[in-house]
Amino acid sequence: MPGKVVEKKTPKQTLLTAITGNVGAILVGLKYFVNPNRFTLKYPYEFIELDETYRGFIILELKKCIGCMSCARICPAAAMKMVKIQVEGKKRPMPVPVINYNRCIFCGYCVDVCPTEALAHLPVHDVVYTNMEDMVLDVDGFQKLVDTPAKDEGVPVKYVFDPERGLVKVPATRG
Amino acid sequence: MTGIIDFIIKLIIWPPLFQLVLLPGLVTALVVVIFIIWFERKTAARVQMRIGPYHISPRLGGFLQLIADLTRYAFQEIIVPRTVDRAVFIGAPLTALVLSVVPVVAMPMTDIPRYFPIPMDYSLIISMGLTTLSPIFIVAAAWASNNKFALIGGMREAFVITAYELIFIISGLSAGLAVLSYNIVDIVEAQAPFYKWILFTNPIAALAMYASILMSTSGFPFEIPEAENEIVAGAFTEYSGLMYGVNMGSAYIKRFVYTLLFSLLFLGGWAPYTPQPGFIAGYLIPAVIVVVKATIVMATISFLRAVYGRLRIDQALDGAWRIFIPIALAGLLLALLEAYMGVYA
Repeated sequence: MPGKVVEKKTPKQTLLTAITGNVGAILVGLKYFVNPNRFTLKYPYEFIELDETYRGFIILELKKCIGCMSCARICPAAAMKMVKIQVEGKKRPMPVPVINYNRCIFCGYCVDVCPTEALAHLPVHDVVYTNMEDMVLDVDGFQKLVDTPAKDEGVPVKYVFDPERGLVKVPATRG
Repeated sequence: MTGIIDFIIKLIIWPPLFQLVLLPGLVTALVVVIFIIWFERKTAARVQMRIGPYHISPRLGGFLQLIADLTRYAFQEIIVPRTVDRAVFIGAPLTALVLSVVPVVAMPMTDIPRYFPIPMDYSLIISMGLTTLSPIFIVAAAWASNNKFALIGGMREAFVITAYELIFIISGLSAGLAVLSYNIVDIVEAQAPFYKWILFTNPIAALAMYASILMSTSGFPFEIPEAENEIVAGAFTEYSGLMYGVNMGSAYIKRFVYTLLFSLLFLGGWAPYTPQPGFIAGYLIPAVIVVVKATIVMATISFLRAVYGRLRIDQALDGAWRIFIPIALAGLLLALLEAYMGVYA
C-alpha cells in the first residue's frame, strides 16, 4: 500500500517566533555554559574500559594449538599464515599460525573457528608500531601480551546514557 | 639624565600617544584580544561538550596556547604570490590594522579636558566616522590578491559593511540624540545614575548597535566575508603567516574598538566612578573601567559563537535591510521622543 501524501507545513515566521527562538537558543547555550557536560576522552590519561568479549588484538596459546590450519584457511584478509616450527614434545616440525596486523581486519573468524581455543581476543585495540615490519608477528611475538601504556597508567572510563544529560563520561571500576 | 627620563615619561603619558598606543589602544587591545580568543575557544568548547585548548598549560586552562599560536604565526614564512599587486597586498592589511585602532583618539576616557587626546565637541561623529575607514583596505587587500575567492570575499565584505555600518551609525547617533549632544563626555555624564544608562532607556538602539557590531566585525558564526567552508578564507585567501595573523587580529581589534564605543554610549562609560584630579585617579582608573566593560561586551559576543549557526550572505543582507534598519530607525525615534520629553535634560 503506498504511503499517504501529506502536505508538509513549515511553521510561519513571525516576530514572536523570532524572539522566542533566539531567546531559547541563548538559554540552551547558557545552560551548557553554566553546567557543561564535557565528554572528551583525555586519551593517554584515560581510556575506555572495553568488554572482555571485545574483538581486539589476538593472542596464541601454543600448547593448545594442534596445527589444523583452520584459522589460516578462514582468514578473509589473508592475514594469518602457517609456519612450520619445531615445537617441544613433537617429533616433526608442526604448522603454527602467525599474524600480519597490516592485513588483519579483526573479524574474529580465526578465534571462532579454532577447535581447541588456542586463539583468543584481548580487550585491547590501541597499540602503536613504529614501522610496518613490526606489524608482522612471528610465533614468539604472537604469544606475548601487547604493550598498552594507556591501560597500564591511565584511568578507565566508560560512557553511559543519562536520560537527562545525554551521553556522560563516568569512571569505570577496574576489574 | 633625569631630564631624558622625565621627557620619556611625559611622552608616554601624553594623551594622544597614551591613548592610541597604550591604554585603550594597541597594547591593551592586543592583551584583550588574546584573552578574548582564549575565552571564545573555551566557551565554545564548554557549550559543545568539548574541553578546548588544554594541554599546553593545564593549570591555566590552556591560556598559553594563544601565545604559542602567535609565535607560530610569527615564524611562518610570508609568501607573496607573483601575481598579486605587491604594494597593496602588503600595505593594505597593515593600514587596516592601524586604522582599526585609530577611532580611540576621538574617544575621551575621562571628563577632565587635560587628558583628552583631541578636545572636541563632536567626538561621537568623529570616532564613528573613523571606524568606517578600515573596511576599505580589506576590500583593497582582496582586490590586490588577484584571486577569485578573495574577490568574492571582498565583495561580501563590501556588502555587509555597507549594510551594517548604516545600522551602527544610526543607532550610535540615537544615543547622542537622546542627550542632545555629540560629545561623548556629555553622553557619559548624562548616564551617571545606574538606571539612566541608555541601554535601559533605549534598548532598541542598543540591540541594533550590538547586532551591527556582531555582523560588521565578522565575529565567528557571522564571518561572512571569510566563510571558511564556502570560499577558503575569503578576502584573506592568499595571506600566510604573520600577514594572516594581522588580518585576523585587525578584525578583533576593530571589534574591541566598537565595543569601547558601545560601552561609552550605552553602558555609561566610567559610570560608577567619577574621575578625580590626578593622572591615576582621573585618567587611568576610568579608562580601565571602560576597557573592562568593553571586554565584558566582547565576551558576550564570543559566547554567541556557540549559539548561532552560520548565515548566508543573502540572509545577512536581508536581515540588515529588512529587520535591523527599521529597528535602528525605531531606536532613533525613541531617542527623539526621549529628547522631546527631556529624559536627560
